[in-house]
Amino acid sequence: MERAAPSPGLLQPGQREIELDVRTQDVEINMGPQHPSTHGVLRVLIRADGEIVTAAQSHLGYLHRCAEKIGENVDWLQYLPYTDRYDYLAAMNNNLGYSLAVEKLLGIEVPPRGQYLRTLIVELNRIASHLIAFGTYGLDIGAFTPFFYAFRERELLLDIFEKICGARLTYSFIRPGGVFNDAPPGWLQHVEDFCRQFEKKWPEYWDLLVENKIFIERTANVGIIPRDLAIAWGCTGPMLRGSGVDWDLRRDQPYLVYDRLEFKVITGVGYRGTVGDCFDRNYVRMLEMVESLKMVRQCLDQMPEGEVSHPDVGLIIRPAPGEAYVGIENPRGELGHYVVSDGSKIARRVRVRAPSFCNLSLVEHIMPGTMLADAVAIIGATDIVIGETDR
Amino acid sequence: MPALQRDTGWGPMQAYFEAARAAHAALSQAGFPVELHQPNLPVFAAEGEAKELAAAHKEGKHLWRGDAYVQLADRGRIVGLCRFLRDQLAYQQIIDVTAVDHAAEDKELWGMYAFLSLTTKLRLSVKTMIPKDDCRIDSIVPVYPGANWHERETAEFYGITYTGHPDPRHMLLPDDWVGNPLRKDYKFPEEYHGISCV
Amino acid sequence: MLTDPVTAAAPAPPQGNLWTDLMHGVFPDGMPWWMVAVLGAAVAFAAVMLFVTVIAMFSIWLERKVAGHIQVRLGPMRVGGWHGWAQSVADGVKLLLKEDVVVTGADRLLFKLAPALVLGTALAMFVALPFAPGLQIADVDLGVFFLISISSITTIGVIMAGWGSNNKWSVYGAMREAAQVASYEIPLGLSLMPPVIYYGSLSLRTATDMQAGWLGLHWYVFDPLHFWIAIPSFVLFFVAALAETKRAPFDLAESESELVAGFHTEYSGIRFSFFFLEEYAAMFVMSAVGAALWFGGWNFPGVTQMPEGALRDFLCVVVFTVKSMLLVFVMMWVRWTLPRIRIDQVMTLGYKYLTPLSLILVFAAAVLEYFLALAPSVLP
Repeated sequence: MERAAPSPGLLQPGQREIELDVRTQDVEINMGPQHPSTHGVLRVLIRADGEIVTAAQSHLGYLHRCAEKIGENVDWLQYLPYTDRYDYLAAMNNNLGYSLAVEKLLGIEVPPRGQYLRTLIVELNRIASHLIAFGTYGLDIGAFTPFFYAFRERELLLDIFEKICGARLTYSFIRPGGVFNDAPPGWLQHVEDFCRQFEKKWPEYWDLLVENKIFIERTANVGIIPRDLAIAWGCTGPMLRGSGVDWDLRRDQPYLVYDRLEFKVITGVGYRGTVGDCFDRNYVRMLEMVESLKMVRQCLDQMPEGEVSHPDVGLIIRPAPGEAYVGIENPRGELGHYVVSDGSKIARRVRVRAPSFCNLSLVEHIMPGTMLADAVAIIGATDIVIGETDR
Repeated sequence: MPALQRDTGWGPMQAYFEAARAAHAALSQAGFPVELHQPNLPVFAAEGEAKELAAAHKEGKHLWRGDAYVQLADRGRIVGLCRFLRDQLAYQQIIDVTAVDHAAEDKELWGMYAFLSLTTKLRLSVKTMIPKDDCRIDSIVPVYPGANWHERETAEFYGITYTGHPDPRHMLLPDDWVGNPLRKDYKFPEEYHGISCV
Repeated sequence: MLTDPVTAAAPAPPQGNLWTDLMHGVFPDGMPWWMVAVLGAAVAFAAVMLFVTVIAMFSIWLERKVAGHIQVRLGPMRVGGWHGWAQSVADGVKLLLKEDVVVTGADRLLFKLAPALVLGTALAMFVALPFAPGLQIADVDLGVFFLISISSITTIGVIMAGWGSNNKWSVYGAMREAAQVASYEIPLGLSLMPPVIYYGSLSLRTATDMQAGWLGLHWYVFDPLHFWIAIPSFVLFFVAALAETKRAPFDLAESESELVAGFHTEYSGIRFSFFFLEEYAAMFVMSAVGAALWFGGWNFPGVTQMPEGALRDFLCVVVFTVKSMLLVFVMMWVRWTLPRIRIDQVMTLGYKYLTPLSLILVFAAAVLEYFLALAPSVLP
């Protein structure tokens, strides 16, 4: 800061000059890799003028596990468990994206029951993932309790997943050719019970956190992403919809059985602030849970009988040569799998287009000018999973 | 625009084929050296396809399935192509920028670009070849800011230099990492900073 | 029957406070004065320390149970058997046994002095609390003033801790604490003025004695002529007290999701436990002030009427502690319900809303007292 020249009229002869200015210096501060609210091992280098962030830079790679390299070294089916590990909060969705890409090369269509089962479980997984997003967002803002409420319902979902595939986090349930197995007896009833229960609990979340005055003050008008910026930076999912862009792969480029389900695409409307602020991103996720629940209900109603897997797909998969890109609507945005096959049992290339990775790339550009606490709110509203950004 | 028609379990197919054809036509008309690649196997596998594939392989015929894509012959025009796609054909979003090293003995890498249009709801893949001995291509960040991190990632994994990239630091790998791990001829390091990797 | 606070005779000087007893009763007459002073101080310190430790341990256990039950879980259930009652004891032992780490590059003097200063001030605040007619370490004439001034010294300890830790997050925590406490001193002090005007005294003992009417229910908040000032001023006091004690939603100094742990990030072992003790001690003191000035102190039907003696004193202590703990419980309830406010919003709330509101209340209280003093005969 330039030192202000003392005004000549005030200084009497012989009077000591008083130094009025305070020289300040920006602080460079490392948020992460070990920090409670970077959702893993993200490191954001922040330059701050007191509480105001003047610049931010993300450093990734602390959780890099060479997923794409592994994809080129293991069998097509062997890679499936690795897909669980990038977005570990929505592992079903990752399984689905990879399976669809492989199926595109295989040229096979999964039997209807398999498709419904996939849709059903992917939507349940979306609810589980959004529950975490909601809970941890509360945590970022400083409210601890919603987190536990969210985990209570997520626990029920994990029980449902455990019943059908034996795993609670890394499912490998959806696989090329179909799903691992049919629903065990009573499982669909279990899902229906969950729907009934969740329906009652959801308004609690809304009242407890979303309509909370302090929460609104902390998130509304914070970290605004204008529509054009979101599109240009390749944001997808709730981050794009939060900015008011009416775009959902499930509706616009329907896969599985989404064209047979009725649902609304939730977009941010500036419910409490400006369109595209942190509140809107959270708002989209909150309402998407309700839409997912609707879809689950419809899947239960329409669930056909029959096989769940294509009979021709065994343990060794040899897709036709070629390359295929399949993008699906993951809870965090468009999860793309680009696979290249040369006809052998090992892929030439497995590329994962991770939604959090793309969404995060914008974050450091909207942080400057906000306060340190807002930086946390912005990262939280982006809902990143480091396993996915780093792969 | 209404939603695309779902014709397979993994989503629309015909619409994308048509999108690739339309984009190819428009790009050719605009003077870009592009060619269209369309899969020559049907979308759904027929009975006994494996035998057919094996026979074709023996004959040296390339039968393949998947996405149709547009191949750009002159990689120097990638930025112009992106600008054309964004401004003329309404592909507002860059979905992915990546590369493929198909085989260690290949002389070229594939530079892959995936575009998405939010208005026409179509997708388009563009491929361009990047020779391994002159591994550079212009950065498309000025056109699509969203390509920033994708290019950084691809650069470190494949050793491609994206000319004009605003921030060419390493993305996922440590700053002092030697080698480009996704190249097929990559030698895994025996140790890193005294940590044995074997 | 209403006591007119302005015209009423000043209450009789308190009898039987602990200090006086020690000076004149326990020690033999021939002892030199300085020995009496030292021994008295030692006994008082031991008593306060014991009480603070017990209260803090209970509060910590309570906090965990409250948090647990609010968050649809049980909280500690194992240690000690019944609902994990010994959890705090186990935690305390663990903290005592842990290594006392002083980070490299820390300002060792500040780093080590800070917890002592913080805990010392917290203990000093207990001196003025009127636990029972026969149990108050010192009836400080300026009781309320004394408490406010002592409680702000804690801030200096926090700043020392944050600055001495050689950690940017800690400095952030310390600076936030400084800014926050400096701005909330004003509404805190002003919100204490309406009761002080009502009682006409700064002494907490006097305040408690004046609420003894109506079989022990003539509390300031129940007074028919004053409740409309008493209740808002208590709300203001409570909000400012939350900020003063760094409790959510004002826990910016140690906000976990932003500053890791704020000013005590680098502390471990016993020094960390000092900060912990201080937090709960400060909560108790603030609640006790609230209980003494607004909720009748030790007065309660049945207890107030009892003949003076050890049993009455004991029951008074129980009543006073329970009232304070109820307010502490409300603080916990708030913490586990609300999100955290941002620092600029904290400042806005303090300067733009709480300070003007408390000024209005002080003015209203003063006007009310003035007119009540003018017309005592009209009143019943």
